[in-house]
Amino acid sequence: MRLQNKVALITGGAQGLGRAIALGMGREGAKVVVADLQVEKAKIVAGELEALGAAAIGVEVNVANETSVKKLAEQTFSRFGRVDILVNDAGVYLKSPVVSKSEEDWDKTINVNLGGNFLCARAFVPAMRKQKSGRIISLASSIAHTGASEFADYAASKAGIIGFVKALARELGPDGITVNAICPGSANTSMPRSHRSEDEVMARLRATPLGHVLEPEDIAGPILFLASDAAAYITGQAYNINCGTVMI
Amino acid sequence: MNPVALISGGGNGIGRAVAHRMAAAGMTVVVADYDHAAAEQVRGEVVDAGGKADALSVDVTVAREVKALVTDVAKRFGRVDVLANIAGGSFYTKRIEDFTWAEWKQVIDTNLKGAFLMCREVAPLMQQQKSGRILNTASNYGITGSAMRAPYSAAKAGIIAFTRSLALELAPDGIRVNTVAPGPTDTPRVMEKETPEERRQRWQAAIPLGRTGKPEDLAELYYFLTTPESAAITGQTFHCNGGLL
Repeated sequence: MRLQNKVALITGGAQGLGRAIALGMGREGAKVVVADLQVEKAKIVAGELEALGAAAIGVEVNVANETSVKKLAEQTFSRFGRVDILVNDAGVYLKSPVVSKSEEDWDKTINVNLGGNFLCARAFVPAMRKQKSGRIISLASSIAHTGASEFADYAASKAGIIGFVKALARELGPDGITVNAICPGSANTSMPRSHRSEDEVMARLRATPLGHVLEPEDIAGPILFLASDAAAYITGQAYNINCGTVMI
Repeated sequence: MNPVALISGGGNGIGRAVAHRMAAAGMTVVVADYDHAAAEQVRGEVVDAGGKADALSVDVTVAREVKALVTDVAKRFGRVDVLANIAGGSFYTKRIEDFTWAEWKQVIDTNLKGAFLMCREVAPLMQQQKSGRILNTASNYGITGSAMRAPYSAAKAGIIAFTRSLALELAPDGIRVNTVAPGPTDTPRVMEKETPEERRQRWQAAIPLGRTGKPEDLAELYYFLTTPESAAITGQTFHCNGGLL
């Protein structure tokens, strides 16, 4: 168990990739805060973690709301007293061409996907600095590199995360805190299904050089590695996990 | 039977740490090095630590030596699960006009052609197995370039593109190919050239984590890229440099 006695917080932890990350952290011995807008689902994942023998809580958060993120931090510190690993996975994926994209959609995508990284860093970095250790891992996307038609706001938010992570890695390195991004390709979760038919989704997921469908666990594994002591010297990176679809 | 890891440049520095890490995870390691005494030394260390190892000599720039090495490994073990191409080095720090053609070829061949020759011989075995992981070694200089290290930077940039191409070629056979790009790492070879204090002064301000790398830091990354946790990763470059780049 690589994460014994660590406290891990995952935003967007209630389903899909976030849930796989939360369960992976628990299996490695971490105490887990499952934070999500959908608090009932977050509590279900916390229950699954407890069934695995991991201490866990499900907490409501809107990562684009400063008051809400502050409340999440208060609940985290009152339950577990510290935070060692912050995984920024909360995000939205809204489809529309730039010319007809509403300002509301634009703001929501940028504020949740990118702004959530900022607000969570502000809420949890002071405790990591005091500990002189910490791991921040943010979910970017292959789309940060490739772009995606009708997802310009999403692409901008994910590329923004990479820039943010590199800057934050430089800021926090002297305190022994590493900050990295993961850029997954399209994975077998509900996200690609929000805008395509099931057949189309599966055909696209299979069409990779490795011929392997990218599952949430394929992305959770490298995140567990980055969270572990084995990755102590890795910071400021954006690692690609995409079955070979994008190489940059 | 244990998985078999063939490590070029396994006799020293990062290669040695990788040999130890793979052996600790239960792989049989073949330590291949130009310096046979160094390869033997690492073989002894691994065996003393309870691991399984063999030591073989190879000059990775010589096609027939590489062929003989891989033939020998195939004869002894029947398979290669992991190939880590770590043999390399910058050899010289000087201006482009001072490099001879022979020196250019030495740097390019050791760092880039060596990986080609090793992959050319090992890939068919992995294709038969329908599995395998290849790890090539680049450098931060392959991205940023480095004054006084033009051939080395060119070779390492070449490794990144070579790796991507090979990843696409071998993906249908379930073989993953990735690049590890170390930053400044405290290997015996570089530590001979400067004192720890000189090294600290040169790098501390530039590296957010405030220290140069240890071979063991890199070994963890090479090892991760051989595990099922990295099953969906191919054709990628993995920097490990404390945030330098």
